Amino acid sequence: MSIKRTLPTSTISGFTLSAVLILTFLKILLENLPSSIHRAGDELLKLNTQEGVANAVTTVVVYFRGFDTLGEIAVLFIASLGIGLMLSENSQCEIKAESNFMLKTASTLLFPIITLYGVYVMIYGHLSPGGGFQGGVIIASAVLLLLISHKDFEVPHSVIVLLETLAGVSYVLIGLIGLFTLDIFLGNFLPHDVAQMGMLVSGGIIPIIYIIVGVKVGSEMSMIVQNLIKRGENV
Amino acid sequence: MIGFIILFTFISIITVAFFSIIQKKEADSIILFMGVGLGSVILFFVFSAPDVALTEAVIGAGISSLIFLMALKHLKATA
Repeated sequence: MSIKRTLPTSTISGFTLSAVLILTFLKILLENLPSSIHRAGDELLKLNTQEGVANAVTTVVVYFRGFDTLGEIAVLFIASLGIGLMLSENSQCEIKAESNFMLKTASTLLFPIITLYGVYVMIYGHLSPGGGFQGGVIIASAVLLLLISHKDFEVPHSVIVLLETLAGVSYVLIGLIGLFTLDIFLGNFLPHDVAQMGMLVSGGIIPIIYIIVGVKVGSEMSMIVQNLIKRGENV
Repeated sequence: MIGFIILFTFISIITVAFFSIIQKKEADSIILFMGVGLGSVILFFVFSAPDVALTEAVIGAGISSLIFLMALKHLKATA
């Protein structure tokens, strides 16, 4: 099966037409620019110092928009569920090629290092660039390295289910504790001094929630990758 | 200097994206798509958004291309 990719004239003319439309739209926008622009980012940056978290992006993602992050994790869970449902009909498929011993040794040596880096990105998410989503995907890429090099390696399904369920439940529980103590869902009920900004233990519940997000994203991405590699050779 | 780097990255992203469209083989197209992700990592980092650069490096250039390749393998197995 091969699809021929020659650009037809309709594609080129459509591309040109859309470019002209976008340029006209930009010209109209630039001509009617308001004199002073109020940006939401500056207001959020002013509020950021109250929470005692050095990384402003983390404060926005986990605290001001914490409910949206819960929804994003749910979207990822549904994607993982869909891939698992689609590829669940066949059982184990055999990977024919035996991998080289150099690849095997190198991947076993690299796996702990990549996992450690992922955990570092997760734990320092409130101080440096990174956080739960990035750290989780880095851990999933370490699992992926083992999956493509070792033929009989597989993450046990029960471990993934346990980690994912525990992370999801504790996210909602922390939010509910905040609701009952401070009358805000995901309220910051732990002490968060501005004086301790930049320390590892600072910011109240924000680093805890980012670690939970990392665990959940890591287990879901590992499940997606494992389903795609190990199952459904002849769907 | 920094402006030159930004301009060079922009031009190379557009070039790689164009060559990614016109490839005959699907696997070549996916590999060139990884190049687009790599260029955007440099752009995000230069425009002082290291969070987004890290996400793009892991997801855009790594995991998503692998998922594309796996889907291609499944498609080849069906046809």
